[in-house]
Amino acid sequence: MSGETKVAALPSVHAVRHGSAWVPQGSQFSGLYLREIIKTFRNPFVIVITIAQPFMWLAFFGSSFGNVGNSAFFDQTVLHAPVGTTFIQFLLPGVLSTSMLSIGMFGSMSTIQDKRFGFMKRVLITPTSKATVYLTKTLGSATRGLVQIPVMLVAAWAFGVPFLGGVLDWLGFILGLTLLGVGFSAFFLAMTASSTDWQTPGVISNFITMPLMFASGALFPASNYPSWMQLIANYNPVGYASLLGRQVVVYGSFDWTYLGYLAVFAAAMLILGTAVASRYLKVE
Amino acid sequence: MSDENGDAIVAKGLTKRYGAITAVDHVNFRVPSGSVFGLLGPNGAGKTTIIKVLTGLSDMTEGKARVAGYDVRKEPMHVKERIGWVAAEVILDDDLSGWENLWLQAKLQRLSGWTARAEQLLEYFELSDRRKDKVGKYSTGMRKKMEIALALLHQPSIIFMDEPTIGLDPNVRRMLWKLITGVNREFGVTVLLTSHYIEEADSLCDRVAIIDHGKFVATGTPSELKSRVRADFIELETKDEVSEERLRAVPGVSEVRSQGKAWILKVSSAEDVLPGLFAALKGDVIRRINVEKPSLESVFIDITGKRMDQAGGGDVQDFRKFYMQVRRARQ
Repeated sequence: MSGETKVAALPSVHAVRHGSAWVPQGSQFSGLYLREIIKTFRNPFVIVITIAQPFMWLAFFGSSFGNVGNSAFFDQTVLHAPVGTTFIQFLLPGVLSTSMLSIGMFGSMSTIQDKRFGFMKRVLITPTSKATVYLTKTLGSATRGLVQIPVMLVAAWAFGVPFLGGVLDWLGFILGLTLLGVGFSAFFLAMTASSTDWQTPGVISNFITMPLMFASGALFPASNYPSWMQLIANYNPVGYASLLGRQVVVYGSFDWTYLGYLAVFAAAMLILGTAVASRYLKVE
Repeated sequence: MSDENGDAIVAKGLTKRYGAITAVDHVNFRVPSGSVFGLLGPNGAGKTTIIKVLTGLSDMTEGKARVAGYDVRKEPMHVKERIGWVAAEVILDDDLSGWENLWLQAKLQRLSGWTARAEQLLEYFELSDRRKDKVGKYSTGMRKKMEIALALLHQPSIIFMDEPTIGLDPNVRRMLWKLITGVNREFGVTVLLTSHYIEEADSLCDRVAIIDHGKFVATGTPSELKSRVRADFIELETKDEVSEERLRAVPGVSEVRSQGKAWILKVSSAEDVLPGLFAALKGDVIRRINVEKPSLESVFIDITGKRMDQAGGGDVQDFRKFYMQVRRARQ
């Protein structure tokens, strides 16, 4: 179709701009956040990877003590849990919490991809602030992280985990996981705000995941740890999310202090991260 | 939107340094509202950097710039609401459909009633039937058109186009030239484009700035610039070396410059000089000969002593060497 056959006229209708916005950056925020969600569901591979890892932990690591059977000694001495608690039951909240550690990695990688493919330029040449870009990426990552929760709960049910605790307790635990996911995504994206290297997110992930997972009480109770590891566990948000979940899954009760701690963690990371990203987010 | 005196873009002492490299060096210019302004120069001359600084993508090291009536540094968001941008490399979200790309642009520009205009843009660019397809599946020409549709969606008063027709086939290129002229004439949109295609700058631009190594070496309308050079240039490459004296001795040759193995001769009129030149080179094998009549290319040759496509700013080593020389010369 050459230019000669053109019949359509140049556009004559005008677009209308919102007047003064109720929420500054609100339109840009919802646009970019929805973009994250749309892209996630068009790349099911990311979801599969996100779910596969905690599932493996639950299935393989969780079955490691399968032959111990109903041992009162194991429950009381190793797990510090009531007699009759299975290891998978004990592990479920820890695995869900631990999996929130690395979800920021995919958000970092997609940010680096946007920089490399120039899309960041396309966004930042519009009246969109760097803080908005950062916050939508962070919430996008956290949302991706939450997708695994229903899958994991079904898996846990299949492994015979009894569902103690009421619906509100479970919703509280999921809120805790959300806060943990937001906090670590915020941390990850702030760390990689100025990076354009594909490998950086993987390196950071390796560096933080192992120590924070093992020194958290997510896999075994922290009271068995030596004192230096307990010290880390005392400040480790993964531990608080695990404890919050364990209260629900093992005891059917709920501890608001843990949730409060996670809220403080998420808020602090978001505030610090926004400050860092507004300054250091690289365009390309 | 423009300044009181009708300028869409005003740049004063615009400078951008990357470490030791000065990509844009104290550039001054004005672009009158409603005109098409071209930055013409070889790759790496600083054209893209000027666009980045003016659009607020990159912070300037020194200088001042007003775009669409607002200070680029102090009021970047006001500037960004009023500009459109077409990248050299075509930047779209390939996972999203054409319509979704338009939707996102509308969100980023805070548009509410935009669908009717988007429909018209798709119609105009003959993309209506592909609107639901992911843009990753579009052809290069379609992607370029989609990108321009995005740039026009929010009715910018200025459009920045970085090498708008690079890598496009002649059909799409002609269509695009028509579009640029159309948008400019019918809507009064100011266009700032960069190019290293002589014909493009010549036929599209009201005014052209020729840029080399981050500096404006000449500014004017294409015809003004061409009339500055009252001479033809002959490029000559021979098998064996020819001495400069022999070339200078040819009647009508006013200047001789070497460029690698080749020579560039500035002559009064190529038609009059060529017979004498052939006579003088009777015994030599001529590998290549090229006559440059007055054009923006010959303006560039006249000022910089080299062809635009051979100025090769893409060669970083050369770029560095050049700036080392400049710095030494300043000391």
